[in-house]
Amino acid sequence: MPSKIGKGGALLISLASVFLFVAGWEIVCRMGVIEPLFMPAPSRILWRAQKMIEAGTLLQHTLASARRVMVGFMVSSLVAIPVGILIGSSRFLKAIFDPFITLLRPLPSMSWIPLSLLWLGISETQKYSIVFMGSFAPSLLYIIEATKNIDPLLIRAARNLGASQVDVMREVILPGALPQIIAGLKVMLGIAWTCIISAELVAAREGLGFMIMNGKEYFQTDTVMLGMVLISLTVMIIDLVFRRFERKLLPWTR
Amino acid sequence: MDQVGGSPKISLVNVTKVYHSKDKGDVQALKDLSLDIRDGEFVVIVGASGCGKTTLLNLVAGFDRVTSGQVLLDGQEVTGIEPECGMIFQQYALFPWKTVQENVEFGLKMKRWSRSRRRERAGRFIDMVGLTGFEKAYPHHLSGGMKQRVSIARSLATDPKVMLLDEPFAALDAMTRQVLQEQLVRIYEKHKKTIVFITHSIDEALLLSSRIMVMTARPGRIAQEIINDLPHPRNADVQLSERYMELKRTIWNSVQAEVLKSMEVETR
Repeated sequence: MPSKIGKGGALLISLASVFLFVAGWEIVCRMGVIEPLFMPAPSRILWRAQKMIEAGTLLQHTLASARRVMVGFMVSSLVAIPVGILIGSSRFLKAIFDPFITLLRPLPSMSWIPLSLLWLGISETQKYSIVFMGSFAPSLLYIIEATKNIDPLLIRAARNLGASQVDVMREVILPGALPQIIAGLKVMLGIAWTCIISAELVAAREGLGFMIMNGKEYFQTDTVMLGMVLISLTVMIIDLVFRRFERKLLPWTR
Repeated sequence: MDQVGGSPKISLVNVTKVYHSKDKGDVQALKDLSLDIRDGEFVVIVGASGCGKTTLLNLVAGFDRVTSGQVLLDGQEVTGIEPECGMIFQQYALFPWKTVQENVEFGLKMKRWSRSRRRERAGRFIDMVGLTGFEKAYPHHLSGGMKQRVSIARSLATDPKVMLLDEPFAALDAMTRQVLQEQLVRIYEKHKKTIVFITHSIDEALLLSSRIMVMTARPGRIAQEIINDLPHPRNADVQLSERYMELKRTIWNSVQAEVLKSMEVETR
């Protein structure tokens, strides 16, 4: 059936759908069908949010996680982009690094937590390193893959106009692969968030993962769910910012 | 072949090129091909598709190595990518992430020219190909004809002694093609470049060239060489003249024989 729903119409339907869901949830909880410890009402979660905002802890936890993701992810990307382009443009380097990437890639970031705690303790560096280890190998693979899709004709044209191998990497391979690199990094940013939440669930003194775990310890189910909602919201906001940034970086794709 | 005396600009001596491919085995693209091109000539190479015309250009530009024989530029053997030979591709090969201005500046940037000098020189060549006002446009906003003009300006900005054009106008509509052909002739007359131009259009060959080479079917060799003595400018009158028809018939007979041969090879 062909759809006649416009953009505004779809948004309206989505809003109504969310409203109905939340309202239904609230009503079911108020009727006392569900134990609050098992599933708190939305109003209860909002109340908890207000409490925590007043105490300043909500912002503290959110910023702590966001900072860890950003630092770990930035360091990982800043290393992965040049290394990925180098490996992608040289068969020699690819042969050297391929076995290590292949070995590292299947390791979930969680599996690095014990070693990182042993080496670095419950420190900020340990958190950054978990994000780094979780996102570096997959980022590198995305970037190497992106360099493969460069039109070889463009490399020829650049060489013909006097570009050296290094010029070709900077002037042709990097910008040519950039749309795909950014698409890959967007996926990686989501993965970086799962890394940090798991690290905080295991060992931390602040952060959204810590907040969820701590809420559970004190049987504050509302805190647990508030933490989950906040993870969602933060990732959404960062994604929006990233998209802005993407348009600035890729003016020719408009 | 050397009528003016002195050494030729480009010289191919007994060039053979064999490609190794997994599914087709060894493919002989060129066999014992010899060819001299003098400074300032406009040589057009005509031949059936797949006869190794592009291979020939790639060898001169240094993108590819000969299997045996020699490619000489100014008497020196071509051993690497040759910046003296500006290449124009059928698919334009513009950098999509660079504006017209940045594309034309590219070769100068590679020579580490300052921004202001680059801008000034690129502006001159953008003007020469009639694209003033499009400096800030990205290639995907341009028509095919405009893209090829950017590509020509980009190559000329680096002032190559030789221009190699690989079916540059084949993807364009007839009117745009005619405009660009005339523009190329003007550039040739003004800048005194040596030009090697590949096409499968006999009319294009007759309009542009000072000399025409017909290539054989694969493996490619020179089947026939024709001095194009048609008067300039080669307007409609020239194109209807007896001499034009005669040359066209000669080339067509020669090309046709080679096309038939190459079709036999393919169906075998």
